[in-house]
Amino acid sequence: MTGPLKRVLIANRGEIALRVIRACAEAGLESVAVYSEADARAPHVAAADRAVLLGPAPALDSYLSIPRVIAAAQSSGADAVHPGYGFLAENAAFARACLDAGLVFVGPPPAVIALMGSKPAAREAARKAGLLIVPGDTPADQSNAAIARTVSQVGFPALIKAVAGGGGKGMRIVAGPAGLDEAIDAARREAAAAFGDGTLYVERALQRPRHVEIQVFADRHGHAVHLFERECSVQRRHQKIIEESPSPVLSAALRGRMGSAAAALARAVGYRNAGTVEFLLEGDGNAATFYFLEMNTRLQVEHPVTEAVTGVDLVRAQLLEAAGQPLPWSQSRLSLRGHAIECRVYAEDPAEGFLPQAGRLLCYRQPSMPGIRIDAGVVEGSEIPVYYDPLIAKLIATAETRDTAIDRARLALRHFPILGIRTNVSFLLAVLDHPRFREGGVDTQFLDREAATLVEAERAAVPPAEAIAAAVAGADGPRPTLTDDATAASADPWSLLDGWRN
Amino acid sequence: MAAGRFVASESGRQHAVEVDARGEVTIEGGEATWRVTAMGGGEYDVVAGERRRRVFVTGPPERRDVFIDGRTFTIEVSRAGERRARAAAHADALAAPMPGTVVNVLVAPGQSVHRGDTLLTLEAMKMELPVRAPHDGTVKTIHCREGELVQAGARLLDLS
Repeated sequence: MTGPLKRVLIANRGEIALRVIRACAEAGLESVAVYSEADARAPHVAAADRAVLLGPAPALDSYLSIPRVIAAAQSSGADAVHPGYGFLAENAAFARACLDAGLVFVGPPPAVIALMGSKPAAREAARKAGLLIVPGDTPADQSNAAIARTVSQVGFPALIKAVAGGGGKGMRIVAGPAGLDEAIDAARREAAAAFGDGTLYVERALQRPRHVEIQVFADRHGHAVHLFERECSVQRRHQKIIEESPSPVLSAALRGRMGSAAAALARAVGYRNAGTVEFLLEGDGNAATFYFLEMNTRLQVEHPVTEAVTGVDLVRAQLLEAAGQPLPWSQSRLSLRGHAIECRVYAEDPAEGFLPQAGRLLCYRQPSMPGIRIDAGVVEGSEIPVYYDPLIAKLIATAETRDTAIDRARLALRHFPILGIRTNVSFLLAVLDHPRFREGGVDTQFLDREAATLVEAERAAVPPAEAIAAAVAGADGPRPTLTDDATAASADPWSLLDGWRN
Repeated sequence: MAAGRFVASESGRQHAVEVDARGEVTIEGGEATWRVTAMGGGEYDVVAGERRRRVFVTGPPERRDVFIDGRTFTIEVSRAGERRARAAAHADALAAPMPGTVVNVLVAPGQSVHRGDTLLTLEAMKMELPVRAPHDGTVKTIHCREGELVQAGARLLDLS
């Protein structure tokens, strides 16, 4: 059932949908976008060759509805489905439904998604492939009491997390018996809401671990390679914010060992297409220990970092592999060059507890500079809906060295005006400027310790005189009262443009 | 832009700001005088002598979101001494919906106009926008002249 693809449905939205649509166009494939009622005017819809309305705004009625996505693929004559990340990307039932409908699923086989999606099965597979795992268990009895017993077996601090999870949703860290019950309840609630499955998993939390993941890629012809690491230790409540490659702490020997281990796991489980093996790294240098955390059976948000330092196109490779072709690279031809760092620009207000923001982007100007790549799902005037992930854009800076890559990211962020909603741009700058980050000495709890201080410093920032001058000079006079129509439209500056002749 | 004294507030701090007849901005306690030039689309060049910064501003005239150098500030602006009266006093003032150049002024003070009549034309980004009378009335004062560059929200003329 493989062969040249002709038309690919992208079962996603936002920047990743645009990324895949462009890769399809480059490869001479037609693209089919899907969208919810909230996204009718979204850039990914306009960019595709075809677009199919899935349903109402809530994800459960649109992007998470397997029957609706399959029906869209069939009605549009697609022969393949690319799931992006999030939504249905790691849903084995969805991959199975695609195959059952005669569609090529751009990703691993459903059985591998199911295997890696189950924490106990994934850990067992990793153990068999020779990887170390962090002590932990999924209690068969999911009562609070039974979960609490497992917590006391693995020891404090412990992590309680959704078996079906990812992205920090449905995850709690507990330092001691106090508050354990509440943590279990909260994790279960979040897990059920986010993934439709409230089953919880418990594991020991490592001391000052770093999050280092290995990009892998495998084909159906027996090849499996790794594309080195991404360091993702800058996380806020388990949500990655800044990722980079290479990791500032990996020695060449450790990089080789981790890469080989990840590729071995991919080979052992019959993996295909792009995947990521996540590790927790404890300790330093060649003596560091890396524990298998989980495998993400999809493209990652932070894949551009790997593309930047290896020079490969991971999405194009995904499409080639899905069409049955062998990997375009062998391990010995892959190498790392320079340094890349990704900053995730979120619609959230750091000063208000990182509350997600919804609204219209009244001003959105992407910087264009050497070494800067921006993957965005929005344009000026876009509406950020309340229903989905608040990621606006990914800014990826590439340079010869880590220091220069950070300098480039800083300059680009300082010239990335986004107004109409609050964003985390100034927070990202504060992290990039933090001495610990500059040294490369950041662990996964760094932001949990430092975020409040950084936010406080930002809140205390005084606007420079130029900001006040521009605010006053642009504010002189009353609101527009042109005509009745224009007055009604003045709440919506973009509709004012409609009356203008070009 | 009309001259006057304003109060700019952010995070509980207040700044007295004066705009003179030439449109130059002085902030109380500051040394410099700033010339603000609208570049269109909410983008402003703010210049004092050789110093210059690029600033981005959106939001309603009384509550401005300002982006400068990677940071965003919300700055509330009111005319000094007439905060609450302002909205009512200017109920019949016509304001520029966006920064632009006044292409032509088609009416004179004292002239009666009908609802929908074109009063003047603005141009920005190679587009023209006719500014029309929102209701029947008489032109009282004209605050702009042909060829003038006006800011978003700038008072163009008063209609009785």
